[in-house]
Amino acid sequence: MILKNFQAHGPSPAQADRRALRQLPSASTSYQTTTQLHHRIYSLVHPIYTHQTAEVLLGITGKDFTIIAASKAAMRGATILKATDDKTRELNQHNLMAFSGEAGDTSISQNTSKPTSASTQCATRPPSPAAVSSFVRSELSRALRSRRPYTVNLLLGGYDTITDTPALYWIDYLAALAKVPYAAHGYAQYYCLSILDKHHHPDIGFERGMELLRMCTDELKRRLPVDFKGVTVKVVTKEGIREVEYVDDKPVKSA
Amino acid sequence: MAAIFTGAPPNSGPGYSFTQTPAPTSASEPRQHAFYPYTDNGGSTLGISSSTFTILAGDTRSTSGYNINTRYAPKLFHIDSADPSSRLVLSVVGFAADGEALAERLDTVVKMYRYQHGKTISVGAAAQRLSHVLYGKRFFPYYVHAILGGLDEEGKGALYSYDPVGSYEREQCRAAGAAASLIMPFLDNQVNYKNQYMAGSGVGHELQQRDPRPLERKEVEELVRDAFTSAVERHIEVGDGLQMMVITKEGVEEVYRELKKD
Amino acid sequence: MSSPFSINGGACVAMTGKDCVAIACDLRLGLQALTISNNFPKIFSYSPSVYLGLTGLATDVSTVADLFRYKVNMYRLREERQIAPRTFANLVSSSLYERRFGPYFVSPVVAGIDDGGKPFICGFDSIGCIDFAKDFIVSGTASDQLLGLGPEDLFETISQALLNAVDRDALSGWGAHVYIIEKDKVTKRLLKGRQD
Repeated sequence: MILKNFQAHGPSPAQADRRALRQLPSASTSYQTTTQLHHRIYSLVHPIYTHQTAEVLLGITGKDFTIIAASKAAMRGATILKATDDKTRELNQHNLMAFSGEAGDTSISQNTSKPTSASTQCATRPPSPAAVSSFVRSELSRALRSRRPYTVNLLLGGYDTITDTPALYWIDYLAALAKVPYAAHGYAQYYCLSILDKHHHPDIGFERGMELLRMCTDELKRRLPVDFKGVTVKVVTKEGIREVEYVDDKPVKSA
Repeated sequence: MAAIFTGAPPNSGPGYSFTQTPAPTSASEPRQHAFYPYTDNGGSTLGISSSTFTILAGDTRSTSGYNINTRYAPKLFHIDSADPSSRLVLSVVGFAADGEALAERLDTVVKMYRYQHGKTISVGAAAQRLSHVLYGKRFFPYYVHAILGGLDEEGKGALYSYDPVGSYEREQCRAAGAAASLIMPFLDNQVNYKNQYMAGSGVGHELQQRDPRPLERKEVEELVRDAFTSAVERHIEVGDGLQMMVITKEGVEEVYRELKKD
Repeated sequence: MSSPFSINGGACVAMTGKDCVAIACDLRLGLQALTISNNFPKIFSYSPSVYLGLTGLATDVSTVADLFRYKVNMYRLREERQIAPRTFANLVSSSLYERRFGPYFVSPVVAGIDDGGKPFICGFDSIGCIDFAKDFIVSGTASDQLLGLGPEDLFETISQALLNAVDRDALSGWGAHVYIIEKDKVTKRLLKGRQD
């Protein structure tokens, strides 16, 4: 039964989905291969496997810092609701989270900020970026198989005060986690990762890091069809998190 | 489980000629009929060219779904075999009927060339003509992956591979068909010595790729046999017999060896 | 293309030799055609001579790897001994089957040496059906390409098998990790591989 719906996905997938969902308990007897069953179940849980948004999240690490940039536009469909949105949240003194995705789901930042802030921890020092990333991932992966998963993509920028190293974690809404030297989410990935592939080096200083960020945001302004209203830029260093003044109202020459 | 006994072809790829892939439908739904003009007959081919010869090979099993149509359906065709100086062999894998039709088309084309020009067609010219023949059916393609083997004007082995709509390229080696993804990395490694480096040539960018060299006939025949005996182990659509054609300046020599029939 | 098994890409292979086993994986993490990271290892250790390779959906690779880290730690505390490869294989199997109707989208491979010094390798489907093999096991988006190479010298064979396979798979590659496991020695090598 479920297989039939799967193959005749045609005119009204939503209707077929609802019907299939009701029939799910009987699915065990009538699928043909396990792969098809997996596929079916998965398509019910996640209508889109890999969605891309025009919301921009960027992260760049260097010798002693992590830069996080997030677009200021709050979008709903084709409408820009707000041009001064801050998509970042300070989880603790040395950990900054940037998030993009479905509006309500960004509450992940609230749900994870309390447990990761120093005051509620039994330990004497706040959790390291590695610990924070692991915790956030576990929250996200638990939610993934719950009734309503978060559909948010995250960047975690941090600074490990024990090893004196910056850290950047890329996490997508499926809770795939990767420690990376530089990262992006949404369509920004396609424009910025190639620039960073070419110019990034792990030993770069803060000034160079900002130059790279400028190259990225310039390219995004040139190529993205929507106005993302510039970016807020924050940097995590040994001293903590600070916001950086970022001039992005200058016009960018088209290529 | 039932799928095994219906003889339904694998869900990916084309199904039978006159019905869509038999899918379990409940009696309450209207039955859908569609004409699907292609079948995947499975099997695999491969070609390797060297300095003085080219070897083409293909298994001889023909399948539709989980059924075996025959254990001997050649996928290699000696083109214009009436001409004693012909050194052209075409191998086709995919939809067997289209493969045979294509071989006949090329055979005719090559014959007509000989009648009109009074000489045997060069492999380069035949290769380009084959591309045009395939592209001529751009919107109702021959559902085949073709490999054309021969000897070029310098007497060197020549090998051309094609996609179903005529995009083509001269190569040292190529595997096609059902087991192509199994065989091709093996050929990369053993013919073009990919991922092999000269011992003691250094590390990182100093590493020197082991230079490919023209292989001996015996070596190539051994590679072909290894490729197919391995493919037979891991692909159910490959087996029964191995047909090989060795193209040298002496002529086209056909070799047949048994493969596992399970 | 949008099968959960092939969103992130990846490849893993295990082989047996004389009194030794090898397990190797690529390092790519992708999102369809886009490469996110070129340092995402897919092999995890659960005792000095038990290794697990996981390919499939990256989130589940991490989840399953962490789940077994927890389970094996609990096993070690209860039993006061290291877990044997065959025991671990059965743990993997039953744990995956627990999720029969909402599986983890992974294809695990286990490689190890048992107490008697005998090589042990096996593979699984995503719901825990074990495939015991004498010679080799493959998993991932390059698994088609990985088949067909016979064993000779174990390290060279497994490395050549993996490298040549991932070079023909767009979703795998960017270097490799290779573990050669002997009775009381494990050698880990990092292969650079093609960076494209």
